[in-house]
Amino acid sequence: MTAYREVVVRTPLALKILPILSVATFFIAWEIVVRTGVVPDTMLAAPTTVTQLLFDKFTNIDPDGALLYEHAWVSIQEAFCGYFLALAVGLPLGLAMGWFNVAEGLARPIFEIIRPIPPVAWIPLTIFWFGIGLPGKIFIIWLGGLVPCVINAYVGVKMTNPTLIQMARTYGASDWQIFKQLCIPSALPMVFGALQIALACCWTNLVAAELLAADAGLGFMITMGRRLAMPEMVVLGMFMVGLTGAFIGVIIDRVEKRLLAGIRR
Amino acid sequence: MQDAARPRTKIEVCNLTKRFGELLVLDDISFSVAEGEFVAIVGPTGCGKTTFLNALSCLLPASGGQILIDGTPANPKRHNISYVFQEPTCLPWRTVRENVAYGMEVKGRPQKEIDERLDHILDLVGLTQCANLYPNQISASMQQRIAVSRAFAVDPDLLLMDEPYGQLDVKLRFYLEDELVNLWRKLQSTVLFITHNIEEAVYVSERILVLSNKPTRIKAEVRVDLPRPRDFMDPEFVRIREHVTDLIRWW
Repeated sequence: MTAYREVVVRTPLALKILPILSVATFFIAWEIVVRTGVVPDTMLAAPTTVTQLLFDKFTNIDPDGALLYEHAWVSIQEAFCGYFLALAVGLPLGLAMGWFNVAEGLARPIFEIIRPIPPVAWIPLTIFWFGIGLPGKIFIIWLGGLVPCVINAYVGVKMTNPTLIQMARTYGASDWQIFKQLCIPSALPMVFGALQIALACCWTNLVAAELLAADAGLGFMITMGRRLAMPEMVVLGMFMVGLTGAFIGVIIDRVEKRLLAGIRR
Repeated sequence: MQDAARPRTKIEVCNLTKRFGELLVLDDISFSVAEGEFVAIVGPTGCGKTTFLNALSCLLPASGGQILIDGTPANPKRHNISYVFQEPTCLPWRTVRENVAYGMEVKGRPQKEIDERLDHILDLVGLTQCANLYPNQISASMQQRIAVSRAFAVDPDLLLMDEPYGQLDVKLRFYLEDELVNLWRKLQSTVLFITHNIEEAVYVSERILVLSNKPTRIKAEVRVDLPRPRDFMDPEFVRIREHVTDLIRWW
């Protein structure tokens, strides 16, 4: 049995220390650049100023009309509604397009026409249809997340090892069995890739949508920062967008590693 | 009298022909295999061995002729056909045990039967210890043993093997060939084993079909009536091996 013992792989010291060092250097350099006036504080806010505003925004709704967590909560709601709707539609559609000729024949041409249109280009129509409230933004975010979901799921299924399909056929497996038992598991790494990419797309489009049409949210906060000439608010908004996105990314990565134990190691 | 003692015919191939456009690959091949027989098929490289197996397994529709299993046309949905490919075909997201179970699951066997059969087969091939490992945690030769076990597990009417041990070193190959013969004798499946390795063919099979160059026909048939376990240094073994080699030589 000893031959099959699990091997523990340690992270090299360099990969433990250097990331901390690099992040610290980045922020210190930034602070110095602003404090010494190399970059004037009307153009960029120092990290300490941003941090001050961060704490201030926990309790103070001025000047943009909402607390920080309220902005974040509005954005997260929008992003997740759009994101999950994109997953719910895009993944089954892409998977089916990869295996069933009927699905590919019907959906592919329409998808190829809509795909190159950037979601932001839909904003004017969306405002006509939904106004500037939640449904319109969810629609934009949904469009943005849909494309990577469909493409990745489709390619994932197409990459199924043909010998495995032959093997299943000789055992008499039906099309549906092959799709369910071989194609979907084969596509999973690509699908998890799609979860990450789609999230990035959703998050990006969220900010774009809020910059143009919103009354709350992190993107709105960034716009207000620009209107009020407060670079620290712009930076805080950007920072929150990045932080929240990264946090969700980490969660998805965790889930992926657990589910794909057999495939990736 | 002798005919009555012979087991009944399991597989009957009648006038099997396969062409790709103008190219005639399989030319009017007819032969039969008795129930529980172990037949090896040898032939020069590129003679259409794999096409031959693909036609037999119904992966490729034949251009003419037919394949009968127990007197009815071969159909992967109705008959138990197993195919062991040259390359390992483990599903990376299933454990060893789940991989061996795959064929039986496709066939919709009851879970209790699957479990019993798995215990039996894994024990026979000595994979019980690593039953819960994933394919990327075991060696390539073990992955091929999984494919062989999976093929035997469905209790196949016809087991096709396409040079399953072609990529292994000599020592391991003999070991796995012994294992294969052992499985075959215990489970009494009908096996068609394709190889370009003549020594391997003589070592494992009861009968050898020698294929010609393209368009492929059956050039000769050689019986191997040697006791098991076989010794590849035995003069009779060597004689058969050289005989088959002479048959294959076309230059």
